[in-house]
Amino acid sequence: MTILLQLIYSGIALGMIYAVIAFGYQLTFATSGTLNFGQGESLMLGALVGLTLVTLGMNYWLMIPVVCLFGLAQGAFVETIGVRPAIRIKSEFGWIMSTIALGIIFKNVAENLWGRDDLRFPSPLPEAPIRLLGANVLPMELLVIGGALLMMLAVELFNRKSIFGKAVVATSNDRDAAALMGINTKLVITFSYALSSLTAAFAGVLVAPLTLTGATMGAVLGLKAFAVAIIGGLSSGMGIVVGGLILGIAETTTGFYISTGYKDVPGLVLLLIVLALKPAGLFGKTAIKKV
Amino acid sequence: MLSIRNLHAGYGKVKVLHGISIDVPRGSVVTLIGSNGAGKTTTMRAVSGMIRPSEGEITMGEGASARRIDALDAHRIARLGLAHSPEGRRVFASMTVNDNLLLGAFPRLTWGRPRGDVNGDLERAITLFPRLKERRNQLAGTLSGGEQQMLAMARAIMLNPDIVLLDEPSMGLAPILVEEVFRIIADLKAQGVTMLLVEQFAAAALNVADYGYVLENGHIATHGPAAKLRNDPTVKAAYLGGAH
Amino acid sequence: MNPMKKIAALAGLVALAAFPVLSGNPYYIHLVETIMIYAILLFGLDIVVGYTGQVSLGHAGLFGVGAYTAGVLFMKLGMPIWVTAPAAILLTAGFGAILALPALRVSGPYLAMVTLAFGTILQILINEMDFLTSGPLGIKIPKPALGGKPMNETEYYWLVAAVLVLALVVVHRILRSHLGRAFEALRDSPIASDCMGVSVYRYKVHAFVISAGFAGLAGCLYAYSEQYISPNTYNFELTILFLLAIIMGGRKTRSGAILGSAVIVLLPKLLDDIDMFRMVATALAVAMVAGAAVALARRMTTPRQIAIPVAGTVGLAGFSWAIATLADWRLTIFGLMILLVVYYLQDGIVGFARKLFVQGRTRAAAAIERPVDIAPDAILAVRAQGEGELLDVRGILMQFSGLKALNNVDLTIRRGTIHGLIGPNGSGKSTMMNVLTGIYVPTAGTVSYRGQSLVGRTPSQIALSGVARTFQNVQLFGEMTVLENVLVGLHHTFRASLADVGLSTPRYRREEAAARERAFAMLHFVGLEAVANEEARNLPYGKQRMLEIARALALDPELLLLDEPAAGLTAPDIRELTAIVRKVRDHGITVVLIEHHMDVVMSICDTVSVLDFGQKIAEGRPAEIQADEKVIEAYLGGEAAAAA
Repeated sequence: MTILLQLIYSGIALGMIYAVIAFGYQLTFATSGTLNFGQGESLMLGALVGLTLVTLGMNYWLMIPVVCLFGLAQGAFVETIGVRPAIRIKSEFGWIMSTIALGIIFKNVAENLWGRDDLRFPSPLPEAPIRLLGANVLPMELLVIGGALLMMLAVELFNRKSIFGKAVVATSNDRDAAALMGINTKLVITFSYALSSLTAAFAGVLVAPLTLTGATMGAVLGLKAFAVAIIGGLSSGMGIVVGGLILGIAETTTGFYISTGYKDVPGLVLLLIVLALKPAGLFGKTAIKKV
Repeated sequence: MLSIRNLHAGYGKVKVLHGISIDVPRGSVVTLIGSNGAGKTTTMRAVSGMIRPSEGEITMGEGASARRIDALDAHRIARLGLAHSPEGRRVFASMTVNDNLLLGAFPRLTWGRPRGDVNGDLERAITLFPRLKERRNQLAGTLSGGEQQMLAMARAIMLNPDIVLLDEPSMGLAPILVEEVFRIIADLKAQGVTMLLVEQFAAAALNVADYGYVLENGHIATHGPAAKLRNDPTVKAAYLGGAH
Repeated sequence: MNPMKKIAALAGLVALAAFPVLSGNPYYIHLVETIMIYAILLFGLDIVVGYTGQVSLGHAGLFGVGAYTAGVLFMKLGMPIWVTAPAAILLTAGFGAILALPALRVSGPYLAMVTLAFGTILQILINEMDFLTSGPLGIKIPKPALGGKPMNETEYYWLVAAVLVLALVVVHRILRSHLGRAFEALRDSPIASDCMGVSVYRYKVHAFVISAGFAGLAGCLYAYSEQYISPNTYNFELTILFLLAIIMGGRKTRSGAILGSAVIVLLPKLLDDIDMFRMVATALAVAMVAGAAVALARRMTTPRQIAIPVAGTVGLAGFSWAIATLADWRLTIFGLMILLVVYYLQDGIVGFARKLFVQGRTRAAAAIERPVDIAPDAILAVRAQGEGELLDVRGILMQFSGLKALNNVDLTIRRGTIHGLIGPNGSGKSTMMNVLTGIYVPTAGTVSYRGQSLVGRTPSQIALSGVARTFQNVQLFGEMTVLENVLVGLHHTFRASLADVGLSTPRYRREEAAARERAFAMLHFVGLEAVANEEARNLPYGKQRMLEIARALALDPELLLLDEPAAGLTAPDIRELTAIVRKVRDHGITVVLIEHHMDVVMSICDTVSVLDFGQKIAEGRPAEIQADEKVIEAYLGGEAAAAA
């Protein structure tokens, strides 16, 4: 029983990471109808840049905003090079392939700069587990859960309270009407990509101490986060938290009770099932197309 | 305030406007009427920047402050003081009435337009449209068609614009609401707001307007003071066929 | 095929067959063999990516299924290639179906992610299920046996070459048939495709399953070629390479697939040799700069447009001199190539070459010889049978969260009449049209067509039961020719199966010939036979509208719904339109016409129904409607509004 509870705690932490990455997908999809297939690589770069800064002596807590700034820049870069040209020529195939391509390039560059081996990220918190409701949970896991929730809440607050946030929501509601309000919708899209990469990079430095940090850490995370985004519905914030929790717990329990090799399978199977039964996601709304 | 010269515009291969010219003097209400497919909404879109004209000039402002806007992006044109309440309302459905109005003042809250008293204007706008006041914290997507139309118009005024484009404000509204809409337009006119009004309801539009243009198949068929057009048989024919 | 192409193909075949004998080097023979094997997979992938326009990131996984089917069947049951190959095709097609059925309900990024997930699952399964697949250890397979002993390199090469040619022929036949047209139609306009009876979902699945079959075949051949298979080959990198091959070589062409295959096989070899790469990169940069200078001088481009390609190639050359070994940077090179191709070489190398050398695109469809006598009534003459009422609509309510687009509307359409449907903007006319054709499901109410209910049936089912339509915004299959557009409408006349198409049986050939004849006659009906081979998107607007009508008539409908056909037409075009609508009615087909052009409505309609705010406010003969006060008020605004 205690083992199950421990698996659940780890599952929740893992699930929140998925949720934060999925949150990033939602941000860009809402405003532009596109998303970054290299989102996992944004996370990876955040983690590795963070590792370098920490290794050079910077304090973990100070490093976080620096990595966030890096994420902003990286996201803006992806949008400018990969997405904007495709939106201009109205090619869906275009941005899918170019964000994939950028992801591949980032991964390769990371391999060459940081090597192909996985590295240890020093944990900022004590490694001794805390006892919660009779089972162990790592302080770092609690930080992950707290940090992820905080990040998503911060963005939600921004969207609701600040005029710029409202402008972003307006753009995702109706891009043409937003332009009529004097909102520079192209800038909004760039910004949503920047923000999306920021959340991914942030997730990267949160999850890095819990697992191994390396050039390959992003790929599968990005794919599974997409499963979460689909399961939750690409338009529902609540949905991705729930989806993330479902997936995280499913994975930790599968990994333990069946085999670690198979642990990636439940998420992916869940993705296929949700798509087959309810393409808009468990919480999403189906849109009616006007002809 | 607004001057359109020889405007040609369309969508891809389909050319809708074949060289129209319209003038909207400051402080007046000019209406553009005609049957569907004639090109009224296309004209509005070309002016506000939603589509690019293929030919022609659009100028906003008078005298020294006049500038050409036909090559500008929509958001730049809005910042210059042109508000467009688009066909189909296009309110921000997942946001509250209050937020929708606030966004109407976006250029004032950020940069581009003189700030003025945004909150004061918001209260004034919401008082002008009593139905909105009752629902200020309701999501715009749950409002009825008539209420959404009110919202779109109020939102446009929030810009403190030099000119307002109203695209088919009466579309899909019950007659009693249409009455209310036109009463509000008359009020705005009394306050000196310059307006370009596109309408399917020729009679009501010509009642409130100073000057009118009749659009037919992308050409101006006739134009003149609204009073004269009211009694012109060609206007009726343009809609219902027959006499020509 | 024209004589030039025949000679070129023959020469190619001879060269292909002679190569191993001439070369004698097993390394090179194996290389070309790999190119051929990848090409087989790419033929199939092109159907999905090039023709139906979907992104699939799972084909490496399907490739793996094919390879492992062969491997496992050999290892466990000692099956020969004559068994493993068909088994690989069928099993992989089966996996393709399992993936396609749920995945193809969605499209675009969803599909890409799902196929990626699927490919990843397949790789994990192959790796983990070591009781079956030997997992990471892999499986060793000798070459297939010929006359008692295993084939040597050259003999297997010839086997692969033979299969390649066969695959080429089959793919070619599929894509030139009604199936190929269906694939293109669903990409060009999914809405129109559904409404012409070609179910988008069904054919996306067909396309995917066919491509899976090809991937399985390629995988099987690959296993014997490599003689050793292991799970980590069938990974994301390989799937990206396949996509790169398609888009770089050129979509929708067989030569593009082969060229692309050659690029992705030879490129890594090139990248292994840093000196060679430096030379190629430098040469490319020099050529690019020279070409840019020429283009700028001739004012064919602007500095802004040319900046990125020039910067890119020069940067690449500089980069190649700066690094020591290229192997580590392989993936970056691939990534950059993808970016380059996606933005600057959208038609691929083959497409680019074609545009450069061939002026004006005339499709390589079989030259249409005008049928000697065009049957005057290609349009099915529908005799009025049964009741006088063809379409009975009762109490339709269409609600879009709060907005009642249609509010309790009744409509009765009598057989053999032209029934007009008019009303101000937003009155619900187009909504009614969409309800009748199944695009919207009404919130309440019944629609009875020839006594059967249409509510809840898919657009494609409704189309096939005899209800055809045109669209307010023209929805033609733009990249297909005029004749091909009508042929899609005739899709329902084909009973031939995939096998019939692949083997080009007499049954299929008869159906195709008959369809072409009818299509041509239909073009004659609307006056478009002179432009039969033009691409639909190049037609002037008025003719596009006529084509839509011809295409709709190809469904052999009893009811034809026209959505604002006169919109944007000039006066002479409108006269032609009204004449054709009358002709259609004279053949016994019932017409429902939504229109704003009052002249058109008044001159040809027998009955007119008027909608306002989603309700019917008047109905009767045109003259009655014109004089009806309620109608005038609806359009021009009444006293109440005027008094404001």
